[in-house]
Amino acid sequence: MTRIVLAVYFAIVTGFLLLPLIFLVPISLTDSQFLEFPPTSLSLRWYREFFTDQSWLDATLVSLKIGIGATILSLLFGTLAAIALVRADFRAKGVLTALFIAPLIIPSVVLALALYIVFLRWRLVNNIYALTLAHALIAMPYVVMIVAGSLRRFDMTIERAARILGAGPARAFVHTALPFLTPAMFASAILAFFASFDELIITLFISGGLQTLPVRIWNDLSLKLDPTVPAVAVMLTLVSIIGMSIGEIVRRRNELRYQTHSVPEA
Amino acid sequence: MLAAVLFVYPVFGVLTLTVHDGTSFTAEPVRQIYTSQLSIIVLQRTFVTAATVTAICLVMGYPMAYFMAGLAPRKRVMATYLILLPFWISILIRTYTWIILLGREGVLNKALSALGLTGEPIQLLYTPVAVHVGMVQILLPIVVLTCLTSILDVERDLVKAARSLGATPRQAFWKVVFPLSVSGAATGGIICFILCLGFYVTPTLLGGRTSILIANLIDLQVHKTLKWDLAAVMASALLLATFACLLFYWGLTRKRSEFATGGLAR
Repeated sequence: MTRIVLAVYFAIVTGFLLLPLIFLVPISLTDSQFLEFPPTSLSLRWYREFFTDQSWLDATLVSLKIGIGATILSLLFGTLAAIALVRADFRAKGVLTALFIAPLIIPSVVLALALYIVFLRWRLVNNIYALTLAHALIAMPYVVMIVAGSLRRFDMTIERAARILGAGPARAFVHTALPFLTPAMFASAILAFFASFDELIITLFISGGLQTLPVRIWNDLSLKLDPTVPAVAVMLTLVSIIGMSIGEIVRRRNELRYQTHSVPEA
Repeated sequence: MLAAVLFVYPVFGVLTLTVHDGTSFTAEPVRQIYTSQLSIIVLQRTFVTAATVTAICLVMGYPMAYFMAGLAPRKRVMATYLILLPFWISILIRTYTWIILLGREGVLNKALSALGLTGEPIQLLYTPVAVHVGMVQILLPIVVLTCLTSILDVERDLVKAARSLGATPRQAFWKVVFPLSVSGAATGGIICFILCLGFYVTPTLLGGRTSILIANLIDLQVHKTLKWDLAAVMASALLLATFACLLFYWGLTRKRSEFATGGLAR
């Protein structure tokens, strides 16, 4: 009895959570000038609109550039940080770990204000490279957490074997631990990319005139309810769901693969 | 290094701005906040909203998690993905959907009038209710997943023991599962509360002028009234509140892990 009530409850709340997905898709397919649900006639008009409007394309390009740059930077620095945090043995490790995760936890408006003040002083507002750096900063916690988590599960005996067989520390790491880490790095790169792609508040503060895709949507929302936005939203959602799923599948498969090969713990 | 330059330095800069006006130390900005009616109201509103949203999330989320904990592992993974799906959609887009759903000409109002329940469209958008709905939709998955982890952590054998000693399922839940999982749920609540404090997009788009939160006020002071020192004080207050919650969180998790290993050692 209780189970049935709970199941019904679960279905209702999940429906509430999925509401945006349920409504956005039909609304984006309308043929009319206005947002309407249910749409009276279906068309891909607003999707076409997106691909023919230069300002939407420009915003997407800016977002892509920043996203790719931020992903590369955060992957590089984040992986190095993760290795240091897991392998090295030093006093301030706890503090340092907290520091790397912090941009994820502290309210982004605080970070936005802080960066804005500093970037103004350094004349870095309205600079795409500075914006990329800021995005790398907020994307890095994902890389640090996922790569560090994966590295902790790595069976050190393999690396030790490589060392015994004559490899230097760097070479042993690159040939044993790094292949093991690659899927985690890949998964975290996807997360990092979308963290950058979604970032709005910090971008609003420090971008100056630069428009990323979320800023473009944001600017549109304050003016009118443009039917292009649902179409953009649906495309973005599809891309991120596909991207995240691929990352997750790769990560899981790797874990299973190494599980079967590693020696069972005593 | 990246973290140090781009994170510690700017954030520290904001903190010093509250007590230092560039040439000398001053308590003026802090005093202004204390005497400003608006800041006090907004601060209060932010904390009340955060507390309410957290409470709603916990009350809604715990039964969800309890249901999921009772599922077979395969089904549980599926349910988890269902809960996580909206989590992968950008906050901006999820908030945007609520504009379409709750607006005067929105889906909900149309449905209500079509059913003959309302004559006039009711004002849903730009009210505190809309802000709460939007925030709960965004944060609920986090709370459900933390509750799920803490319920799964409860030793199954304890429930079996309670049942064999004559407890009804209801008693077993309230005397065993609930007390042992409630502190884990509370940690999920703290995370939710911290995230609530920094919300910017949802109150701006769904709340209108009368329900702005602290993040919006910081934005206003930076971009409209140009009172940077006030913005810095508010940001510091936000940061301190976050740290206070984090300390509380660490205390809670530490106590819990001690309890799990010490009190329930097998």
